[in-house]
Amino acid sequence: MSVPDYMQCAEDHQTLLVVVQPVGIVSEENFFKIYKRISSVSQISVRDSQRVLYIRYRHHYPPENNEWGDFQTHRKVVGLITITDCFSAKDWPQTFEKFHVQKEIYGSTLYDSRLFVFGLQGEIAEQPRTDVAFYPNYEDCQTVEKRIEDFVESLFIVLESKRLDRATDKSGDKIPLLCVPFEKKDFVGLDTDSRHYKKRCQGRMRKHVGDLCLQAGMLQDSLVHYHMSVELLRSVNDFLWLGAALEGLCSASVIYHYPGGTGGKTGARRFQGSSLPAEAANRHRPGALTSNGINPDTSAEIGRAKNCLSPEDIIDKYKEAISYYSKYKSAGVIELEACVKAVRVLAIQKRSMEASEFLQNAVYINLRQLSEEEKIQRYSILSELYELIGFHRKSAFFKRVAAMQCVAPSISEPGWRACYKLLLETLPGYSLSLDPKDFSKGTHRGWAAVQMRLLHELVYASRRMGNPALSVRHLSFLLQTMLDFLSDQEKKDVTQSLENYTCKCPGTMELLTLPGGPTLPPVPFTKLPIVRRVKLLNLPASLRPRKMKSLLGPNVSTKSPFIYSPIIAHNCGEERNKKIDFQWVQGDVCEVQLMVYNPMPFELRVENMGLLTSGVEFESLPAALSLPAESGLYPVTLVGVPQTTGTITVNGYHTMVFGVFSDCLLDNLPGVKTSGSTVEVIPALPRLQISTSLPRSAHSLQPSSGDETSTNVSVQLYNGETQQLVIKLENIGMEPLEKLEVTSKILTTKANPCSPPECTCLSGWLPVSMDWVVMQTVGTARGDWAEFQEKLYGDFLSWNLEETLAQFPLQPGKVATFVVNIKVKLDFSCQENLLQDLSDDGISVSGFPLCSPFRQVVRPRVESKPVNPPEGSKPGDPSHVKTLEAILNFKYSGGPGHVEGYYRNLSLGLHVEAEPSVFFTRVSTLPATSTRQCHLLLDVFNSTEHELTVSARGNEELILHAGECQR
Amino acid sequence: MAVCVAVIAKENYPLYIRSIPTENELKFHYMVHTSLDVVDEKISAMGKALVDQRELYLGLLYPTEDYKVYGYVTNSKVKFVMVVDSSNTALRDNEIRSMFRKLHNSYTDVMCNPFYNPGDRIQSRAFDSMVTSMMVQVC
Repeated sequence: MSVPDYMQCAEDHQTLLVVVQPVGIVSEENFFKIYKRISSVSQISVRDSQRVLYIRYRHHYPPENNEWGDFQTHRKVVGLITITDCFSAKDWPQTFEKFHVQKEIYGSTLYDSRLFVFGLQGEIAEQPRTDVAFYPNYEDCQTVEKRIEDFVESLFIVLESKRLDRATDKSGDKIPLLCVPFEKKDFVGLDTDSRHYKKRCQGRMRKHVGDLCLQAGMLQDSLVHYHMSVELLRSVNDFLWLGAALEGLCSASVIYHYPGGTGGKTGARRFQGSSLPAEAANRHRPGALTSNGINPDTSAEIGRAKNCLSPEDIIDKYKEAISYYSKYKSAGVIELEACVKAVRVLAIQKRSMEASEFLQNAVYINLRQLSEEEKIQRYSILSELYELIGFHRKSAFFKRVAAMQCVAPSISEPGWRACYKLLLETLPGYSLSLDPKDFSKGTHRGWAAVQMRLLHELVYASRRMGNPALSVRHLSFLLQTMLDFLSDQEKKDVTQSLENYTCKCPGTMELLTLPGGPTLPPVPFTKLPIVRRVKLLNLPASLRPRKMKSLLGPNVSTKSPFIYSPIIAHNCGEERNKKIDFQWVQGDVCEVQLMVYNPMPFELRVENMGLLTSGVEFESLPAALSLPAESGLYPVTLVGVPQTTGTITVNGYHTMVFGVFSDCLLDNLPGVKTSGSTVEVIPALPRLQISTSLPRSAHSLQPSSGDETSTNVSVQLYNGETQQLVIKLENIGMEPLEKLEVTSKILTTKANPCSPPECTCLSGWLPVSMDWVVMQTVGTARGDWAEFQEKLYGDFLSWNLEETLAQFPLQPGKVATFVVNIKVKLDFSCQENLLQDLSDDGISVSGFPLCSPFRQVVRPRVESKPVNPPEGSKPGDPSHVKTLEAILNFKYSGGPGHVEGYYRNLSLGLHVEAEPSVFFTRVSTLPATSTRQCHLLLDVFNSTEHELTVSARGNEELILHAGECQR
Repeated sequence: MAVCVAVIAKENYPLYIRSIPTENELKFHYMVHTSLDVVDEKISAMGKALVDQRELYLGLLYPTEDYKVYGYVTNSKVKFVMVVDSSNTALRDNEIRSMFRKLHNSYTDVMCNPFYNPGDRIQSRAFDSMVTSMMVQVC
């Protein structure tokens, strides 16, 4: 007895063992087809009684196990069915011979045997034989089941006769001693006449009869026999057989208590559609004693109810039996099987703790040196049993051991496939799912060390299986989910091996289907790098599309009849959460900024990083980046071009890290801040680029509300100087430029904002216009600032748009020019002093309320390009250099975007530094010589470094040298 | 004496696990992990008993060739598992019990720390040193 049958369960005690074997060359397919049909006949109601016979079929049974048949009769092969192919009558004698040889193997125990011959036709087949059945082929054999039933009935007859023979054998004096193979030599030379020996014989025989009764479907009788046998054997300390008797008692009780069977599915199936054995037992109980000729003394004193063990007793008796078995090393298999049976019973009783004790014991039962295959089988079955009693972790542990056993170094051909399959089955036990989504919520909670080990093993097994895609997937999973638990060295190792694998097989985002059916979901590397914030960026100011007001107006008003409604406001607010209130333009490069960081202790190379979008055709322009080790937050800008219009949603991004492609969806990322990911894409608009004749300015204009300039130019002019600014407008977009509007806005922020400069302008275009007599004066302008400003700067910038517009529409790539005149007229006089002077003179000119100084425009004679004198070398205090700033706004539109009513705004910042040229230092009046004239004396000061001529209307010319002051 | 001490959260993931450094750490992980089956079973069996009368000490979970695994469960279903060398026969049930009580007290102290987030791994130095003392203490 060396090969344990781990599938044994208590009900097997009542079955008759029939071996079905092929003889000669029978294809496996055909054999199992017949075997299946044969095994469907697993229970037979015997014709003349209520008893039911159960048959257990095996297609393989080691003959050495058969030798234990006397010990437990269900181990005895009582029937043999042989299946063979035989196509010609010539082969028939040979085939028949083979059948006999086969019979010899189990010969000692066989009650009956059958030979099924397939393919033979002719006269031999015509001969009616009880032990041989002929069928023309494997399809045409309807009578197989009938044959089997007959065969089982013949087995029953033999069984019944044996049972009656043994049970009624009252001669007593010559009961043969039944013994197990290893006992045989122990009894040599024993006194066969002693009472002790006789009792032993009796006890063993009683137990044997009990077995037979059980097999013959007489449960109650078997219980009685077992009880008696226990009494007898206990008195003679025949422990092995006492154990067997106790186990028999348990089995019978289990069969009585749990008619559904304890062996799992197979057991349940066995009882389907049949009258429950318990009922059967009840039914035949009344007649059991009388009709079957049982010894009248068997149960006279033992109450029938007492015969059957209670569920608690079953376990106690099993324990006892196992403890007796354990005294014999050779009975290891019996002990092991008893343990397994007890565990199955306990599993049904839901007593897991005790079951685990039995299993624990079973683990320690030391059988002879097991082959690797047997070891695997043993561990697998242990795992299965632990699963049965709800010990999933223990089950997983043993399954893993079994998996490791599959690839033990001692095995010449390691079964990596089996190992991998077993490992996969252990995953639930370690509460590990291969779906990374389960790990995205919060921190990882589990047995990281154990799980990591398992994943490593999976990776290794899948690699050895020759499936690099699987190992890449497992490795990425390991890296993604266990990142927090890996040490730096491990991180390095894992990524190293991942890179090695991906050389052969890049990681993808596809579902991998395992051979067994389950699929492996893709593993996106959301932690390599970790993205913290996603922000969609607006277009740069110059490219930002704007909606024409006139078109927007009616839309707004039709939306709702209410000016304000809290409901609508609420809706809007919600919408705004998702949708961002700027637009992207079709065909223009749009940007999304990600804040990422690298958790790895080494440089992380991210390749092919791009955006995943939906809603609009989007051409993503992938970027490659390299993040330094354990970097802080690091901004990454991903760009793309929307190709159509509509509403675009940025769903996530894709990366390739260590050769693994991953698509990371923002929804699945924990801890990512986004400010909305939906943006409207409007139709294409042209793009305008400006270049000017003036140098670019380093100054940037002070930002004022909503005005950001794209280009700044600066120029330095003397007061009163005019310069032409040539602006080249180039259409660098893809759409024709159809419309252009130019406006200007003057910023005065650099001037003293609290007190607007009180200056007056002299009207007129002429370069030199100095009127000594008629001067425009302006009263205190503080109250009317806007108007004043208008007047002040009105002609600071002037242009003629028609010339430019004549070149429109501007096709892509074409250039148009646009000329702007810049003129500087500012007041540099020190007004307080002047006023002081005037009032000192005590003169008031009627009709001319002179409370404000004038300003006159003097054109420097010497046209000097500004030479940018250093700041310090300027004459007078630095405040004398005044700055004028203006913004030229170009509103332009064209193409489909224009149809939709969008335009773009490009602004040009203009920075003009005005240096004083000539100003009056003093003003005084002279007494009038006539009533129609008034003399005004002005001290003119030339603050430039050049000589200049001052001309007035009276054609008086005055030459001023640099820094000179003349009256 | 104790070769491995583990604190396991209600949801059966480890809050703290430490074993003597010389041995194969993973082995203890496996051992403690599988012992949870028994703990679960014992808790579910105990569920019927009144809560306040419940015995926190679970006793021997299971013996292996070299070690004995003991268990203890708090009222909040936090489990303590201790693996001791089975060759150490001087160790009585009472000693194990008192060790668990000590462990429980120390764990309570950890929980009292306002900066400790229940469910996180225990990183308290005081707890650590207490475990260390339990592991080296000679009986």
